[in-house]
Amino acid sequence: MMKKTGIIFFPAFDWAISATHPEREERLLYTRDQMFEEGILDLPEIEEFSPRLASEHDICRVHFCVPSVSDQVLEAHRIAAGAAMHLGDKIIAKQIKNGFALVRPPGHHAMRVVHGNRGFCNINNEAVLVEYLRRTYGVKKIAIVDTDVHHGDGTQDIFYHDPDVLFISFHQDGRTIYPGTGFTYELGGPGAYASTINIPLPPGVTDAGLHYVMDHLISPILADFQPDFVVNSAGQDNHFTDPLGQMRITAQGYARLTEKLKPDLAVLEGGYAIETALPYVNLAILLALAGKDYSSVLEPEYNPDRFKENPKVTSEIHRVVGELQEIWANRHKADKFALANGAKYYQRTKPIYYDTQFIEEKQIEKVRVCAQCPGYITIDSQAYHPDGKRYHVLAITIPIQACKYCQEEGWDAYEQYKHDYRFNYVYLQDKSTDTFMMYRREERQEFRSDG
Amino acid sequence: MFIGIDVGGTCTDAVLLDGGAVRATAKVETQEDLLISLGDALDNLLKGIPGEKIQRVVFSTTIVTNLIAEKKYDPVGVLLLPGPGRTFMEFRQQDDVFFLTGAIDYRGREIIPLEEAELAKALRWLEDKGYQRVAVIGKFSTRNNAHELRVAQYIKQHHPEWQVEMGHRAGGRLNFPRRITNTVLTCATRDKYHYFANAVRDAMARRDISADVFILKADGGTLPLTVSEQVPVETIFSGPAASTLGVQALTPAGETSLVVDIGGTTTDLALILSGQPLLASRGAKIGDRFTQVRALAVHSVPVGGDSVVERVGKEIIIYSERVGHAYCLGGPLPTPTDALRVMGMTQIGDEDRAREAMVRLGAPVGMGPMEVAHTIVGLVINTVVTEIEQMFVEWEQEPAYRVWEVLQKKKLRPQNVVGVGGGAAGFVPQIAARLGCTPILPPYAPVANAIGAAVARPTLQVNLLADTERQIFIVEEEGYQGKLSGKLDEIGAVELAKSWLMKRAEKMNLLEYVQEIEITNRDVFNIVRDWRTTGRLYHISVQTPRGILGHIGSGGRLMK
Repeated sequence: MMKKTGIIFFPAFDWAISATHPEREERLLYTRDQMFEEGILDLPEIEEFSPRLASEHDICRVHFCVPSVSDQVLEAHRIAAGAAMHLGDKIIAKQIKNGFALVRPPGHHAMRVVHGNRGFCNINNEAVLVEYLRRTYGVKKIAIVDTDVHHGDGTQDIFYHDPDVLFISFHQDGRTIYPGTGFTYELGGPGAYASTINIPLPPGVTDAGLHYVMDHLISPILADFQPDFVVNSAGQDNHFTDPLGQMRITAQGYARLTEKLKPDLAVLEGGYAIETALPYVNLAILLALAGKDYSSVLEPEYNPDRFKENPKVTSEIHRVVGELQEIWANRHKADKFALANGAKYYQRTKPIYYDTQFIEEKQIEKVRVCAQCPGYITIDSQAYHPDGKRYHVLAITIPIQACKYCQEEGWDAYEQYKHDYRFNYVYLQDKSTDTFMMYRREERQEFRSDG
Repeated sequence: MFIGIDVGGTCTDAVLLDGGAVRATAKVETQEDLLISLGDALDNLLKGIPGEKIQRVVFSTTIVTNLIAEKKYDPVGVLLLPGPGRTFMEFRQQDDVFFLTGAIDYRGREIIPLEEAELAKALRWLEDKGYQRVAVIGKFSTRNNAHELRVAQYIKQHHPEWQVEMGHRAGGRLNFPRRITNTVLTCATRDKYHYFANAVRDAMARRDISADVFILKADGGTLPLTVSEQVPVETIFSGPAASTLGVQALTPAGETSLVVDIGGTTTDLALILSGQPLLASRGAKIGDRFTQVRALAVHSVPVGGDSVVERVGKEIIIYSERVGHAYCLGGPLPTPTDALRVMGMTQIGDEDRAREAMVRLGAPVGMGPMEVAHTIVGLVINTVVTEIEQMFVEWEQEPAYRVWEVLQKKKLRPQNVVGVGGGAAGFVPQIAARLGCTPILPPYAPVANAIGAAVARPTLQVNLLADTERQIFIVEEEGYQGKLSGKLDEIGAVELAKSWLMKRAEKMNLLEYVQEIEITNRDVFNIVRDWRTTGRLYHISVQTPRGILGHIGSGGRLMK
């Protein structure tokens, strides 16, 4: 039997960040109109499913929500993440050949620690999916390719030290757009070198330039990495009409990209040209996933003569691709102990800004440089929340591949920090056993959740 | 007194209702000429009752379904304005299509103008091919019909005698391919249906019946006969709706029941959810074409009392086709009905012949007649139960586009399994047992479909879309596109929708049925541009309450 493309369409017609925010009820309305009018859900190649809710535990497998999940996560977020999980189930069970979670709210700016909404995101839909697939089905190697115009800094943060999750993001150069990160030197922690690949591109990239990146960099890297599952963070704001980005990609360009990438699951991220881009780009991506002809999906504003790439842009693309090709080719020469300068722990200090809610988080992340596994991580994080309250938390995460030593030391650290007066909350995430712990020091209350 | 008639594939059933009581029933074999069956049924029913006493006649007919299924309709030339999007080249395979330039977008704005020069070409194409029936359908024409109107006007100008149908009139909802189907089928069947409607009026007149005549629709509502002539496609698949409404009338109000209608070759499954038949989320499918026709959520399983049973090697297999009557009724081949007869679960037909049928199947492989009968009945029940379980999974998978819709989803499971149709008594108790439900075989089960027709009532819907930024509004059912005058808030939008429902009722002469109006959907979208609200989009749906005119008898469990 021919296997279908599964779609979950969840436009959240009754949810918005605020009345005039771009992440609003109206965002997927015209996409819905276009999809319905095209009769696309009647196609024998496509099957529509309804979403389900991600559980609190599914979220705790990835995030440390401060102070707790219910304070940061609304039903709409749980439905968007649950939609990705539900399609993930169907793909693993081989009921469908691939899927498209056409959902909002988006998630790729949500980092491991969540103090509030960043870049319109609260929880990371792709990360929740990835940890769920690894835990439930033992999927080993996963690649996430982020095609949003903004750097997928949340996804990068979560998998920065994980050698089994390859994160590739191309985006408009961080010097010209939110969130201001995603440079070529951000390559992952010492134990996961080159499992993060950032491709910063100058404004003005056209379909031709993008496909150069795809053909000469992304496709070869994926061929080398051999992922068991490919997720596409399918932002649509590289479109030539997007109000936030300055790229010049068309619906055709996105569809061809999808065709080459062949993701198992595409998850909608950003894209705020809700009339001029989204109806056409979403349609084109869906048709491409389903193996249908998308050649007539042309935006009314599209005029092929206007889409000549500036030679300066082209040469910058070639330069960036060349630089990353070399890094990728030499990745095995990098030694994790050398990268960590021989230290036992690799440490990063990160200021994190939550643009939607004006929260400034200070974070110190410390990874154990371990010969056997990616190493457990401790995160010291503090921020003032919009309610004026200051939270200082300590979070420990033990990776799914953890060695015995890292697991034990992680738990020991948790027990010690529970008595540390500096922290209001202490959390522990043991991905190797699928356990989540939370300790509220002031109330001396402990919560545990097991998968 | 009310009359309900269901002209089915094999039988035409009729009932005469007097208040909550069944006064008479009739069952005649359906003839090639549906009007003969209709006349026979009426005569059988009315014996001695004067026609003037009849207040209302509702019938459900397969005429359009059959015309379409047998492709006995008139050829239609199709002019499409597909604009950007899917290519729709596959439509060339089923219709003769001419593509025109011109496009409208989702908010009804023209994005590509019509090319007048192409109209002459299209006209010549129609003339060369000899079409006199033309369907004109544009993508998003329900949001702006200007292109369709212009094309239709051009054709009418040159050929006033041709029949031209437009998409926005035939299929008002979003779904371009389904709108094409609705429009083509409307165009193709309108003349033949008109002929049929005239003959019905004639048959009524000859029996002194001056009552209002209604046609049952697939969603369980009715349409006045004259109105149905504008939308003949709306009359397809009313048979399953008739049975379901019949069960609704024969069971207590408010219960959740699975309706199992076991016919000769198919078993239809439907759900009554807290007393209300469940509607399908998408339009009905006829043959291999999807339409916009609103229908109850009915699943058909290709197995029934007359399905052919054969043995292949050591295996007993049930085929989906019917060759004739059951063997015990003089038919040529063994059927599930013969199995039921042998097991004593029905009294229909000759017991010896039924046993003979089982022996014929079982003897060569050493199976006794009772064993064969059990195997056959087991197979039928397995098929039906598997389908029921699949159906519940599908209902749970119905899409949800709002947070509250996802949160309120719950598992649907029926209390009752209600059997109607010829094979019901034999199979339904076992099906109910497998599902852990109460089996119900209501009185008058063999004519439940006709009862359903008799108690059906008109339902009217209006879907209104208003766009305050562009100052326009649309009434999907009417194909109407108007201008807003001044400000419109949510309450105003609801009132506007209600006023159009009243207008619609008045036009159809159905005002007496509009006592209250339900609001089934009210979505408000702020149009936000550059962090400012520049307008609002209102999507409002209103309807007259769905339901039936009344329950029959105690509406209860007279027989279990």
